[in-house]
Amino acid sequence: MKFWIEDLPVLFPYPRIYPEQYAYMCDLKRTLDAGGHCVLEMPSGTGKTVSLLSLIVAYQQHYPEHRKLIYCSRTMSEIEKALAELKALMKYRTDQLGQEEEFRGLGLTSRKNLCLHPSVKREKSGSVVDARCRSLTAGFVKEKKERGEDVDLCIYHDNLDLLEPHNLIPPGVWTLDGMLRYGEQQKQCPYFTARRMMPFCNVIIYSYHYLLDPKIAERVSKELSKDCIVVFDEAHNIDNVCIESLSIDLTEDSLRKAARGANNLEKKISEMKSTDADKLQSEYAKLVEGLREADTARDEEAFVSNPALPDDLLKEAVPGNIRRAEHFTAFLKRFIEYLKTRMKVLHVISETPPSFLQHLKELTFIEKKPLRFCAERLTSLVRTLELTNIEDFQPLQEVASFATLVATYDTGFLLILEPFESDTATVPNPIMHFTCLDAAIAIKPVFDRFSSVIITSGTISPLEMYPNLLGFTTVVEESYAMTLARRSFLPMIVTRGSDQGQISSGFQTRNDPANVRNYGNLLIEFSKLTPDGIVVFFPSYLYMESVISMWQGMGILDQVWKSKLILVETPDSQETSLALETYRTACSNGRGAMLLCVARGKVSEGIDFDHHYGRTVLCIGVPFQYTESRILKARLEFLEDKYKIRPNDFLSFDAMRHSAQCLGRVLRGKDDYGIMVMADKRFGKKRNQLPKWISSALMESDANMSVDQAVASAKRFLKTMSKPFPANLQEGVSTWSYEDLMEHKRKLEAEQIREEKNGEVNGNMNGHVHGDQVMAEAQAAEEDMEDSDLDAAMMEIDA
Amino acid sequence: MSRQAQSRPQPTTRRPADSEGQDEICPVCKSSRYLTPTLRFLINPECYHKFCESCVDRIFSHGPAPCPIPGCHKTLRKHKFRTPTFSDLQVEREVDIRKKVGAVFNRREEEFEDLRAYNDYLNEVEDITFNLINKLEVEETEKRFKAYQRAHEREITENASLAEQERASFAALQKEEREQARSRREAARREDAEEKRQLEENRRDVLNRLASGQDAESVAKAGQQVHLKKRMDRAAAAERQRQLQAASASNGSGNVVIKGLRAKQKQEPEASVDPFGGLSFEGRKYYALQDDYVWAGVQETKADVLIGAGGYDVGAFTGRALCEAFAGLGVFVGDEMDERDREKMGKENDEMATKGAEVAATKGGNAAKGKVKDVKMEDPF
Repeated sequence: MKFWIEDLPVLFPYPRIYPEQYAYMCDLKRTLDAGGHCVLEMPSGTGKTVSLLSLIVAYQQHYPEHRKLIYCSRTMSEIEKALAELKALMKYRTDQLGQEEEFRGLGLTSRKNLCLHPSVKREKSGSVVDARCRSLTAGFVKEKKERGEDVDLCIYHDNLDLLEPHNLIPPGVWTLDGMLRYGEQQKQCPYFTARRMMPFCNVIIYSYHYLLDPKIAERVSKELSKDCIVVFDEAHNIDNVCIESLSIDLTEDSLRKAARGANNLEKKISEMKSTDADKLQSEYAKLVEGLREADTARDEEAFVSNPALPDDLLKEAVPGNIRRAEHFTAFLKRFIEYLKTRMKVLHVISETPPSFLQHLKELTFIEKKPLRFCAERLTSLVRTLELTNIEDFQPLQEVASFATLVATYDTGFLLILEPFESDTATVPNPIMHFTCLDAAIAIKPVFDRFSSVIITSGTISPLEMYPNLLGFTTVVEESYAMTLARRSFLPMIVTRGSDQGQISSGFQTRNDPANVRNYGNLLIEFSKLTPDGIVVFFPSYLYMESVISMWQGMGILDQVWKSKLILVETPDSQETSLALETYRTACSNGRGAMLLCVARGKVSEGIDFDHHYGRTVLCIGVPFQYTESRILKARLEFLEDKYKIRPNDFLSFDAMRHSAQCLGRVLRGKDDYGIMVMADKRFGKKRNQLPKWISSALMESDANMSVDQAVASAKRFLKTMSKPFPANLQEGVSTWSYEDLMEHKRKLEAEQIREEKNGEVNGNMNGHVHGDQVMAEAQAAEEDMEDSDLDAAMMEIDA
Repeated sequence: MSRQAQSRPQPTTRRPADSEGQDEICPVCKSSRYLTPTLRFLINPECYHKFCESCVDRIFSHGPAPCPIPGCHKTLRKHKFRTPTFSDLQVEREVDIRKKVGAVFNRREEEFEDLRAYNDYLNEVEDITFNLINKLEVEETEKRFKAYQRAHEREITENASLAEQERASFAALQKEEREQARSRREAARREDAEEKRQLEENRRDVLNRLASGQDAESVAKAGQQVHLKKRMDRAAAAERQRQLQAASASNGSGNVVIKGLRAKQKQEPEASVDPFGGLSFEGRKYYALQDDYVWAGVQETKADVLIGAGGYDVGAFTGRALCEAFAGLGVFVGDEMDERDREKMGKENDEMATKGAEVAATKGGNAAKGKVKDVKMEDPF
């Protein structure tokens, strides 16, 4: 359908639209017009991606600037889904407009997924594929070939050079599969096609890391212009992604490998000195001049790039004492040796970068400045030496980027050395965590560079937390409720067992047999009443294991067994995917199954339990993080110091976003239904931290139930759900046709005029349609219609 | 926890780095760590060979002795033995050499005006160090080293003391920061407790009033209002605190010395010495000085070697004689009289205006007069 938002014609590829989708698009447009950042929360399964894409594509095509869209998602499957949506959208647009638009949409993923080279693509590990690909495609390999040496090249990559550089692939939307097919047909490399076509695309879809991880971002995403629209989808975990991308863990093993790498470098240097001293000399000369490698053509093969560094530093010349290659390797060796010495300490150390540097200087006379250039110098050296077997140097590179980071940032980072694995261990296995505490550091370049950054997810409450954590300001922060023609999901908070004893996974009571038995009863009851699949989330693997063994002793599992097949998630991803597959088969056949999993595990993120795959989700306990972890403690301390976020607030926020993710797993659309049970007395106080769409559906009477009450309520709910519900009842309420939309607009305008007459509205509020307003209205309409319509429907059925 | 454990690679041996065979065995007595777990190794910075503690005691207790390692003929003394910091003795030696070099080549970035020069300096120092470490061109390097040390003795001590100061201030700063963080946290904790206490108090208060039989609704409302007000107060206080902290933070960053190159100062071309304070005797309007004068006195003096050897220049005499001869010509007495009169008038006015400042005025007047005279003297020719 086609409609207008203010002056923008939007083509929406479906005949009906949800009210929240419309509101979402309105807010999105407002953000783009204002040129700022926004945080939007829209319930899962309400077509977030398609509304996002259709509005932004309309925006691109309508306005002359043609701002590029960079859509970042979390997993491969989500990227594929988004590409498929985009493809369908563009097809619809072509049909409607009667002409094909000049449009390119591409997805980018790792070499491993896009490689076509017959022997390289058979490799299993991603890093091996990367390394082998580099050895076949690097610029100097090609030079060697031209000089007549006998080296292997990748034919797929070479064919690209024969094409026009801005037209490697015809316009259109290319899914990853489509790219592979096209590449096979034309004998060209899909990975490099995507990489090189990025500046010429209208839409790029890739993973977060290509933008957030500074080691990759500089290479992949640097040509993107400032007015790009950046979207982070499924962004509820974005702060952790940011932190992980700048954190480095070093072990004794990796240090040993790094030392070996340094020795290898030394050998290579002496080899090169005897054969091709000019090259080293010319590199040295370049470094003396402070020239940076301006060779952009080579950039895409670069081995590593710098961690997030301030620009002024990047322009400076490499310090004199690591200019010579042999000086640099000696420098690296000294640094590694120092780290090894530090590893021998037998007590926990946590120190800030400045004090680390001070100690380093006292012991080894390594100054801060050369340390800062470590990563860059290593890159340059590796390039000069023309090394192809780069995976050997991975640990060395890690040490180098560690050096660079530790010398660059004084605050926001902490070094934690843990000599023992656990408190009781006696054999030391030291590990040095260099942890980033401030999520804002990694994402800052993104906010600085792009004018519109949109952060969106199904569960991103409380909204104001994210701008605070990531250090940006928003123009729009909005959370949408879900308009439903009937109450299709039932959130409940169970605080007491059937014996009226309180249930909680709190530390004091978690292993109390009465508590565990109450949880067990809850499990039995729901396994009896739920049709098809049940998903159960525990706060941690450890707790899950202990509870399951206790249940086994109590005979609870035997009872569950009568009605459901029981499957368990394990840390091993292979095992888990097998369990998932079995679970799906069991849900599709027979009595259904029960999946026991962990709230921070693989299952809780990114795996959908739509329809009969999940009718009930049980959250056993609040999924708090392991609070004894030193890294977490440091982060909490930092958050309190810098952002004035109290430790308890943050912990509870983090726990609630994970439980919201878990709860959202079962409801994947408006025709879906499910029960959400939060079983912990502590959920009672945290209700308001749930996403709006869940908390608004959570009724006061359902917020403090015992197991028996919950069972009764769930039974009642399932009874209503089992009645047939024809789709036409949703029309005009939770789905709008074009007429409904126009009706809504008219109403809104009338409202506006009335308000203007009353003179109560200030000027900039009436310029746009406010999300809340739309929602409220839809809700009201729904209430009006529900009774009469339902009755009518019932009568129809009876008749 | 179990997940954490998963992600961590299991240690294969206890100390893989050390267990590479001979590292764990004393080369003299062949006792190994496996049999004597308390084994400690010592090294001597003369030759960097390592022996176990008991060997050192045994061999070197009776005074200096040659190194027992075959081929190494260095004489070692017991008091020089120490435990190595690094397990790689090459690095240990390197660090010692660096210590020596760093003590001498301690110029700071601030001393350089451009980055290139600083980097070149660093490069040179690194070259010297590298040569010393790898025993390349030892003699020549030593020579360079010594030469530099002699040439820059004063700067070296100066920079050393500067570095010492820096270290001390850094330590102090660190301590202060820690203290501050601690007090901040303490304050936050206190605030929390206070908040809780007030909430409790409020509730008790409401209950008391209800018990004393006041109207329930109004009591509840009043209680709520009190609570709200308190919360607002707290919020405002927190906000104030934050601002204060922000201000202090910005101050704090102001104290931090930004290290870097020395600020580039354009050296002003040094003014040539002017002993007469701007008076010019060069404006020879009325005469021209010649190189030579045909006059016996001048000629004779010029020819006399004895006089010339003392550095006497006849030119000085002729110049002065001419200058004196024409000195009066630039002065116009009439003009100068007028000027003086005008000045007097001004002085009188001053006196009338401020009697209190009389002394100062006269003084000032005198000074001014002196100056005016000076000015008058300008360009006497």
